[in-house]
Parts: sequence; structure tokens; C-alpha cells
Amino acid sequence: MIIRLNDINKTYPGVVPLHVLKDINLNIERGELVSIMGASGSGKSTLLNILGILDNYDSGEYYLDDVLIKNLSENRAAELRNRLIGFVFQSFNLINYKNAVENVALPLFYQGVSRRQRNKLAMEQLERMGLADRAHHLPGELSGGQKQRVAIARALITNPSIILADEPTGALDSTTSHDVMDLFRQLNSEGMTIVIVTHDPGVGAATNRIIRISDGRIVDGNQPSESNPQITL
Amino acid sequence: MFDLISEIGQTIRNNKLRTGLTGFAVAWGIFMLIILLSLSRGLMGGFERETGKLDVNQISVWRGSTSIPYKGYNKGRQVKLKASTVDALNKSNNHYIGTAAAYKYIDSAKVTGPKDYVSDGIEGISPEMQRNQHITMLAGRFINQADMNLQRKVMVISKKTAKTIFGTDSASQVIGQRVKSLGLSWKVVGLYTREWGETDNYIPFSTAVALSGGDANIWSISVLADNISDEKTAEDAENAIRGELAKIHHFDPADKSAAPMWNRFTNYLQNKQGMKILDYAVWIIGIFTMLSGIVGVSNIMFVSVRERTHEIGIRRAIGAKRRNILTQVVLESVAITTLFGYIGIVAGTAVMQVIAHFIKNMERSPFENPTVDLGIALNVTLVLILAGALAGLFPALKATKVKPVEALRDE
Repeated sequence: MIIRLNDINKTYPGVVPLHVLKDINLNIERGELVSIMGASGSGKSTLLNILGILDNYDSGEYYLDDVLIKNLSENRAAELRNRLIGFVFQSFNLINYKNAVENVALPLFYQGVSRRQRNKLAMEQLERMGLADRAHHLPGELSGGQKQRVAIARALITNPSIILADEPTGALDSTTSHDVMDLFRQLNSEGMTIVIVTHDPGVGAATNRIIRISDGRIVDGNQPSESNPQITL
Repeated sequence: MFDLISEIGQTIRNNKLRTGLTGFAVAWGIFMLIILLSLSRGLMGGFERETGKLDVNQISVWRGSTSIPYKGYNKGRQVKLKASTVDALNKSNNHYIGTAAAYKYIDSAKVTGPKDYVSDGIEGISPEMQRNQHITMLAGRFINQADMNLQRKVMVISKKTAKTIFGTDSASQVIGQRVKSLGLSWKVVGLYTREWGETDNYIPFSTAVALSGGDANIWSISVLADNISDEKTAEDAENAIRGELAKIHHFDPADKSAAPMWNRFTNYLQNKQGMKILDYAVWIIGIFTMLSGIVGVSNIMFVSVRERTHEIGIRRAIGAKRRNILTQVVLESVAITTLFGYIGIVAGTAVMQVIAHFIKNMERSPFENPTVDLGIALNVTLVLILAGALAGLFPALKATKVKPVEALRDE
């Protein structure tokens, strides 16, 4: 079990406190390809933040790769994010003045890996994404699909336990979306655990399990199940 | 480290215009600091050069009149300094009193040469007075101790006088020649020059005293004090001299008006103190000038952090620790400050080199080598690095407050 959430609660304080996550229980197995779907305001972004160790929760327990993620110091959180999680974002989040190789290599910079080693590993990842010839292009010189593949290469470079993707196809046209989902499926078939947050039913349908969240509760798909039908696009 | 530098290089290149404008303010501040420091150093150098030509331990005494009744004498009595007073001071064992010397001016004397005469008078002088009179020998020698002991009739004349009375200032036609004065024949032993006034004709003090009829009255005595190092010892030396004079001329040793004094050492200390204050003032002015540049850098770093919130969020999300972000922003600020600061240092130094070159060819300039040395350049560099770090610190602290969640927010 790579992700275990036990009775997670999260409330945003305020004049009218907002209880956004209510007793969330969720298990994700190693090697799964799942999507988390829900309307806006359902709490799926908060759930993603917690899964990505970007935000804290109030009560419950969250185990990521058997590490209890609770009350971590900022530094420890940064370290775990760096080693365990590969992020893929809707707007790619590449640094616009760094070329593709430098962007892909950046997570290793924060691990203190030498420049030569970093660039070598980054090139390998770009080759894997079929972007070797774009290695020295700036993000502004790449198409949307290429940018997202650079971002995926960056997510993969630290060899993380899971990939967390936040609306990875939100900024792409349908053909490119298709390609990116194919890429995720291929990575999944190579053994990578991937969690995609989306509101696009097409993207959800391309995953092996859909976790539906509504009004702060998981309404469907909180346990791995063999009965979930494999839907192929 | 190299990685960090190339990171900083990238972000600076990314904001060339903004960085350039801010950098200009820093460069200008440093430029002004260097100019001011160079000028004040030059002024100090000039001061040292001028005082170096003098005996700073000189204390001059004039004839005064008593202001305190003493041993039956009324106050208001004139203290008449005499040639014998000089001898008495020289014989004193007081460890503050080195050598005493005096002038004896015979103003009625004419000096006549083969061509013409001058009526500037003649002046009796001791050998040790040469330095304080700024006398530079061109040929021959100055009055020496043997002249003093033997009351020789020898004379040292100026280049200007030589031209008038001999019609030439060529040493071979002047040195060893004889001139007439006070009805006596004098041998010219030396030819001198001086930056100011070349009218004095010097003879041995002892000869002048003898010509004036034994124990002549004199106007002032100059004492080279020993063992003085600060204001306290300088004042002690004055008191020691006054004490000796009080014994000779019978007045109250506490009576200052009986023997008015001018202490060059005290004066020197005050000037030196003044120079030090000038130096501090220049640093303060310079640093404040630079401060406006630094505030600019701080401002620009705030803007930069604000603009890059999303980027910092991304970095945090993919594993940058707060420390990484802090270091990057601070070093970026240090890099901008130091880079442009150095441009200012180089420009300021270059300008001062040019100025120094012109001043070198100028006569009697108040400046001596108005440039900054390596020590100051290092100090300024240190100030720059500190200032840059300080300028970057607050924006950097703000940057560390950026939450990694920012990465998920759309721009």
C-alpha cells in the first residue's frame, strides 16, 4: 500500500470554518493508475495538497510509502516531496528562463547532485520522452504537449514513489491530451504509481480506478478493487 | 557553488534593464565613496608631507610680561629673553628639553657684493633651524656647529640675493666669494632656495649675538622637545620650559603670560585629529550615499520576489528548502551589489588616477597621491558584500514565506 489515508479531516479556519475534508479513508496500491474526480469545491484540490505534502491536515493519519506524513518540519516536507513525489501540473510549471534539460534536472539540484550527473540523467529522461532534440530549447519554444512531457520528465527524474498530476491535460488540446494519457498509461505499465486529479471524465475513464469526491467525502472508489473495469480509450 | 552562481547569472540576465538601473545607483554610490575617500586620503597625505618637513616637536616661546606678582616684583614686568637664556635652556637636564635655538635679526645691515647690494638685513641662526625654515641648500653648506663655536664670519645667501649682488647664481662664482656687511668681510659658504621668500641672509647665531654687544635681547626661542607623544606630555614639556625660564628670569612658574608659547606638537595632534574626523565623515557620507543605492537593490529584490512567487512555489514543490530559497535571493542581491559596486570602484579609481596624474605636476598642491590603496578597496568590498546581504535579507525572508502550494495556483 503506497498511500494510506485514515480518517483525514481538514478544516479551513475563518469566521465560518470550512470543513473541506471529512473522515477521508483512502488506500492506493503500488502500481495503480487512479484518478480523483469531483466538482470544484468538492475538496479534491485540498486532498491533492495533502497527498503532495503541500498542506497539513487536522486529524487522521497519512502514510506515504510507509512514512507517516504528519506534523513535518518544512525542511523534512521539502525533502520528502523531492524524493517521494513527482509533480505534474496543469500549467506545466516549467521555469521559463531555463531550458528543457535544466528544468528536468532542477529537482536533482536540490539533492546536491553534481551538474554533470544531473544533466546526464536529465538527458536520459528527455530521450525517454522523445525530446532529446529539444533539450536546449526554452519552454517558450516548445508546444504544449512537449512542455508537459518535459514536466513529466522532471517528475520522473528523482525516481519517485508516486506521480501526482493536477489536471495534466487541462491546458492541452484533445489530441495532445490523448498522447499525454497514453504516456501515463505506458509509465504505469512500467510500474509507476500515478494519481491524477481531474474533472475531465475522458481522463478519468483512461485510468484504472476513479475515486469520486463530493462535499468533502469520498463517495466511490476508495479501495483498490479488481472489479473496477479496465477502460481503454 | 558554481551551480548557485550560474542560477544567479540566469536570473540577472533575465532582468537586464531592471538590474542595470538598480546597479547604476549602487555603482554611483561607490564611485562617490571612492572619490571622497581618495580626496580625503590625498589631503591627509598632503598634511603628512607638509608636517614631515618640519620638526613637529617644536615649541616656540616669545617674550611676555608677568601677570602674577612674584618675590617682590610687581606684575606687568617684561621678561627679556636673552642669548644667555638659550644657553641656559641647552644646559638644562630636564628630559623634555632637547635643544634650544634662537634667531638674532640685525635689520639695519646691508649686504654688498661685487655687483650690487641688498638691504634685507642679516639673521643669526643655529644649524638646527634649517629644517623649520624650509631651507634647501643648492650649493655649499648651511651654518654648522664649528661656525657657532668660533663665531665665524660666514654667510649663507639665497639664489635671489646671489643674482642681485653677484649678478649670477652659479655656485662656482658665488661659493667661497666674499661679501661686505656691517663693515666686515664675510665668506659665502652656502647658496639656498626656499618655496617662499628668499630675502634672508643667514650668519651664525653666535656671531650675530657677539656683533650685538654680548648678551643680546632676542624675540623668541624655539625648543625641540624630547619625549613627547601625546597632549599630556606636550603640555608637560611646555610647563618644563616655563619652569626653566621662571628660574632664569624670576617669575611664577604658573604665569603663562610671562612666556607665551606655541606648541607645534599640540597643533599637530589637533590637525591629525581633524584629519581623522574628516576620514570618518567621508566614510559616513559615502556609506549614506551608497545606502540609497542599497535601498534600491532591496526594493528591486522585493519586486523580483513578488514576481517570482509562482517560480519559488514550483521550486519549493519540487524540493527546495527554505534555506535554498533564502541563499539564492541573498546571494543574488550580493551579486548585484558587488558586481556594480566593483564597476563603481574601478570607475572611481580610474578617475582619481587621472586627477592624481595632473596634481603630481602641480606645485604646492594640498594633495599627496589622492588615490585609494588596496586596504580601502578591501574595506569597501566588505561593506558592499554586507550591504548586499542586508539588502537581500528582507526580500529573501519574504521569499521563504512563499508556500509550495503557490505552484498549483494558476498565474
